[in-house]
Amino acid sequence: MQNILTIQNISKSYGPVQALKNVSFEVPEGSVFGILGPNGSGKTTMLGIILDVLIANGGSYQWFGGIDPALARRQIGALLETPNFYHYMSAMDNLEIAAAVKQHGQNDRLRVLEKVNLIERKDSKFSTYSLGMKQRLAIAAALLGSPKVLVFDEPTNGLDPAGIAEISDLIRQLNKEGHTIIMASHLLDEVEKVCTHVAILKKGDLLLSGNVNEVLYSDDIIEVKALDNNILQQTLNSMPGIKNIRPDNNILQLMCEQSISPQNVNEYCISKGIVLSHLVLKKKSLETKFMELTNK
Amino acid sequence: MTSLLSIEWLKIRKYRTTWVILGLFAGLLTLLNYGIIHGFIRAGGNNINILSQSYAFPHVWDNICYYTSNLVLFPAILMIIFTTNEYQYRTNRQNIIDGWKRLQFFHAKWLMVLSLSILTTIIAFILGLAFGYAESGSFTGAMNNTVKLAYLFILCINYYSFALLLSVLVKRSGLTIGLFLLYCLLIEFILHMYFNYGLHNETLNLFLPLQCSDNLLPFPLAKMASQLVGLSAEPPAYQYILASCCWIIIYYIIGRIRLLKSDW
Repeated sequence: MQNILTIQNISKSYGPVQALKNVSFEVPEGSVFGILGPNGSGKTTMLGIILDVLIANGGSYQWFGGIDPALARRQIGALLETPNFYHYMSAMDNLEIAAAVKQHGQNDRLRVLEKVNLIERKDSKFSTYSLGMKQRLAIAAALLGSPKVLVFDEPTNGLDPAGIAEISDLIRQLNKEGHTIIMASHLLDEVEKVCTHVAILKKGDLLLSGNVNEVLYSDDIIEVKALDNNILQQTLNSMPGIKNIRPDNNILQLMCEQSISPQNVNEYCISKGIVLSHLVLKKKSLETKFMELTNK
Repeated sequence: MTSLLSIEWLKIRKYRTTWVILGLFAGLLTLLNYGIIHGFIRAGGNNINILSQSYAFPHVWDNICYYTSNLVLFPAILMIIFTTNEYQYRTNRQNIIDGWKRLQFFHAKWLMVLSLSILTTIIAFILGLAFGYAESGSFTGAMNNTVKLAYLFILCINYYSFALLLSVLVKRSGLTIGLFLLYCLLIEFILHMYFNYGLHNETLNLFLPLQCSDNLLPFPLAKMASQLVGLSAEPPAYQYILASCCWIIIYYIIGRIRLLKSDW
């Protein structure tokens, strides 16, 4: 798979504050790439640099294998930090300017406004919009002309729960249609649901990056309990596929290989004449993983 | 280039402030000249009115261009508002995100400077033709002395690009307008007076960014007055033109460096 974006050793400081330290990663074509990190970890700075709004102190980046960055930006729909529009103009007029700068998408304005449910307010001035509507308009502007790549900085900022769900759906749908999506967020739930790849930043350092299932892979835990946990533990010690058993209060936590399901454990115990009184599969959430990583 | 300008047009066409300020500028300029011709606006007593100059061709150009040069502050403030709006709305960033190069943003604003300068000159030209015709009764000699319109054009570029530079450096509209007016109306006026009457050296005006253009279009009686009080010989017009062009180039270079090197 070709890389849409390659970032090499990017550093950026604001006076004494080092916002990014030698960050490198790649965004493969067709991925939903999440840039994660706590507030102030450098996510927006990273996006600002690859969109030429901020200037890096060191390092380089290439879009689409190294074409002219301004040309590349016309094929990218981006929402950076805040919705940026002329307050005294309507949604349609604002999109006219965006499309004129991009040099395409002038006939696409109604479609994108429809997509973000703003069609009824298309002729209202931007200054009369609510926060959520402004955010929707920014997403609409990014969608103008169906760009290959979309860059979203906290796309669900200011949206209500229904709006958040709509945007998550929209992102998944866009990805299915073949768009590559680069998204910065601190809302892990959002990322967990839609991202295929992640890069995790903390205070300007890149902690890790890559495929979600590889870098954030963690063993599932099966919890069991029986009348006599000692016998249960001895029995399960001999069950193939169980890597480790940890007693926790009066419950046993089993670290298993991926092939082992709760059903396997139950069957094995019954065959050994043990009846389980508790059997739960516990998935480690991205949040737990994220906290582990960023609190190191 | 036309695409840059057409996008700038999209930005301002529905901005009411544009039309209010331009309307005020054209209206006040007309009123001012009309008032002077008809004697509502006068300076002096005992039947002496030093404002009472001939508005017949070709003298009309001296008057019109001089009074226009005094009111260019209006379009200059408009230029500041256009530019600082971009920072306030952060649309400068959005233009870049959508695919402009930083220089394209800068050049679009320079094209606005040129457009406003052309517009100002055209307004002065129309007013000159109208008032000159009313006074002379014909268009004979109307094209004599129109070099003053060229001077006015240079002066406009100087003022508007100075306003643009200040906006790019300061970014906040209120502060920029305040600093601009403070500089134009006070700081440079004091220096100008000091050079002329303190040091008796008119040549130093060449080193004042805006005054070097102002000196291209002096008050119609100024030449006579300066001879009366015995001022040193004034530098010829081409030196003021050269100085104005140098200043304009300096604004361009400083603004360009600033925009290319800084975070937006």
